[in-house]
Amino acid sequence: MNKIKIAFIILIGIIFFSACEKDDICVDGDTPLLVIRFYDVTDSTEFKDVSSLEVRGLISPDTLDVISNVASDSIMIPLRGDASNTSFVLSQQLTTDDPVNIDVLTFSHETKEVFISRACGFVANYENLTASLDTDTDNWIKNIEVISSTVENSETAHVKIYH
Amino acid sequence: MKLFRQPLKTQKQPMLKYIISILFLLCFFNGWAQDEPIDLNPQDTIVRKQTYGLRVGVDLSRLIISQTSEGYSGLEFVGDYRLKQKLYLAGELGNEKKTRQEDLYNFTTSGSYLKLGIDYNTYENWYGMNNSIFIGGRYAISSFSQTLNNFQYFDTNRYWNPDSFTNGSSEAVEFDGLTASWLEFVFGLKAELFTNLYLGGSVRIGFLVNNKEAEEFPNLFIPGFNKVTDESKFGIGYNYSLTYLIPLYKKGPKKNKGEIENEQ
Repeated sequence: MNKIKIAFIILIGIIFFSACEKDDICVDGDTPLLVIRFYDVTDSTEFKDVSSLEVRGLISPDTLDVISNVASDSIMIPLRGDASNTSFVLSQQLTTDDPVNIDVLTFSHETKEVFISRACGFVANYENLTASLDTDTDNWIKNIEVISSTVENSETAHVKIYH
Repeated sequence: MKLFRQPLKTQKQPMLKYIISILFLLCFFNGWAQDEPIDLNPQDTIVRKQTYGLRVGVDLSRLIISQTSEGYSGLEFVGDYRLKQKLYLAGELGNEKKTRQEDLYNFTTSGSYLKLGIDYNTYENWYGMNNSIFIGGRYAISSFSQTLNNFQYFDTNRYWNPDSFTNGSSEAVEFDGLTASWLEFVFGLKAELFTNLYLGGSVRIGFLVNNKEAEEFPNLFIPGFNKVTDESKFGIGYNYSLTYLIPLYKKGPKKNKGEIENEQ
């Protein structure tokens, strides 16, 4: 009888231990966004607002939704982890009567996975970032400068755009 | 007739002689008997010998989980050798392969481990019983490899991929040559089910001493140690062992100092 009791306790133990489940929540990291700041082309130290700035992702030929933005002299945009380049459509409209000026900007980058924690897993960091602008008859973007070719966080600007 | 008469005639004299002699002798014995104290608590002189030997077996839980769980296969041999009345030399040798699907990645850990240490039986058995409730310690080493099977990038921004996470490389990457060592505290029990056949169970708390891991992908599971928790050196494991005692020799319990002095 005593032996049966011991066997029973052991069986309960198996059930107890096999019922353990993880409860981890990811709070340790995130894939960084690309930070762009807009500068005055005439005075390269001055921030300059882009009137009616709208940025949309572009997977040719489709243009996606507008990326929401809080300021008009800077924007944080996500890059694509599954592609080697990411294209955006940046539009400027000086006044409501003026036509919308659209410029297409393409970033090429290498994606590197970085392990954060058990709960988060991997996030993407970007390396060897370069930017190129599709030239058209009337580009509102005059110059682009990549100031940080690696994107590891969203705290400082990676790209300066002069207009 | 002559033969019979002779002794009859001389019987009385030697008879007295004998009686006197015996009286003297008895006096002597009497004096002797008074020197000896009367033992009111006679000691049990039967030596209760206990079986010493090698106990070997397997961990049942790893066998069962290998059958029931798809992502796991493992085997653990357990053994102990009785050194003293309560002290055992104990060890485990095992191999585990575990595939785990986390939220955004999937990995497989595969490797072997060896644990060596001692068990100390704290249970006072009645004569003939061989059960134990023991505490013990182990030093354990493991050599293993970890393979990242696939992963997705964690990203709170849902712009490019509104419904899921972006897939990373689906090519499996193996990180090998990984090692770890840890100290283990063991608490367990063993009960003799039938002669020489034991069923036991133990809970183990491990403390990582050494953990060699790949820079790109840390060790999330160590064979024998179990799950590695972020920013913690502790791990928890268990086993349920079925063991068979191979009796080698019998030995009585060592007499303690008091008993030896009593005998002298």
